[in-house]
Amino acid sequence: MAEREIHDVVIVGAGPAALSAAIYTTREDIDTVIYEKGVIGGLAAVTDWVDNYPGFAQGVAGMELAESLQKQAERFGTDIRLGEVLSIHDEGELKRLETTDGEVYARTILITTGSDYKKLGIPGESEYYARGVHYCATCDGAFYRDKRVVVVGGGNSAVQEAMFLTKFVSHIDLLVRSDKFRASEILQEELKKHTDKITVHFNTTTDEIIGENGKVTKVVGTDKKTNKKVEFPTDGVFVFIGLKPNTQFLKDSDVLLDEIGMVITNAYLETNVKGVFAAGDVRSGATMQIASATGEGATAALMIRKYLEPHHM
Amino acid sequence: MPKNITIFTTNTCAYCVMVKKWLNAKGFSYEEVNLDQDPSRQSEALELSGALTVPVTVVTKADDSRDVIVGYNLSQLAPAVS
Repeated sequence: MAEREIHDVVIVGAGPAALSAAIYTTREDIDTVIYEKGVIGGLAAVTDWVDNYPGFAQGVAGMELAESLQKQAERFGTDIRLGEVLSIHDEGELKRLETTDGEVYARTILITTGSDYKKLGIPGESEYYARGVHYCATCDGAFYRDKRVVVVGGGNSAVQEAMFLTKFVSHIDLLVRSDKFRASEILQEELKKHTDKITVHFNTTTDEIIGENGKVTKVVGTDKKTNKKVEFPTDGVFVFIGLKPNTQFLKDSDVLLDEIGMVITNAYLETNVKGVFAAGDVRSGATMQIASATGEGATAALMIRKYLEPHHM
Repeated sequence: MPKNITIFTTNTCAYCVMVKKWLNAKGFSYEEVNLDQDPSRQSEALELSGALTVPVTVVTKADDSRDVIVGYNLSQLAPAVS
């Protein structure tokens, strides 16, 4: 029988919570492996600019912050693998993880899979995906030099990414379903500097994306005050309408999720399954802030150390 | 073994960084076309991929056939370079 690969902790996802946890665990010689199916650094890495992460007086590029966290974790010996965890199984002392690279076992698991951007679920959205409909301004904004775009959403991401897109585009219609922004006051103030390029449309739903000859030409919405249809001619649509947790891989596990699919933990960041912890944006009650995620990662690492002590250390 | 690998990227694209990291980790060399530095080649990326996005990775094989991979997609990238 082949020898099983066993680690003290396997961390699922490599965002700020994961990398922060790994800095703590590996620094204390706790054998740590991270699996990441997407981008190391998570959503933080695809965010243009992070202005509120403590310690950076002038702010920091999301990609730079992510790389710095990665290097710090690797300096202490974190093993970051570019692969996907497909499912986890509680087998008592050991947890079994099915991954795209085969099976691995862990004494503890830390779930830090974060969240991803939600889709609108309207006609035209999937049809024009990556051909006019986008969810990553830092990736795709450059294709819209001197063109018109629509940005959908009223939270921090929508406002911040709209401002980022002003580097390229000629005009942005920002469609906000509510009568006000959910974005922070400081971002709303910052947005006022961009009135030359950004027109905000409150109380406006986004109903359909229409195109011709394979290209997006307009977005159709509804003005909720008049209940009339409104059209926005555009070359592209960027969607930032909130986040959904990445917990699909837990559907066959015993880990309890809340009503929107986020992982429920106790005050020690442990789930209902002994030895399985969660931190960061995937955790029920998370504040969706990078600073909170790194703090939770550190806390989870200390809780994992405590859990491991009577078991084998 | 591919004859040639070209990646279309931009300065701010984190998924582009991941494609490069993965290729580096596997020991593949590649040519990078940065569309921020060379916007005139955007139409080339669009023509190859049909998509207004980066990364676009073009893997040219020994028989000159080509695989075009849009995004950071290891399930397509790994077999393309094998």
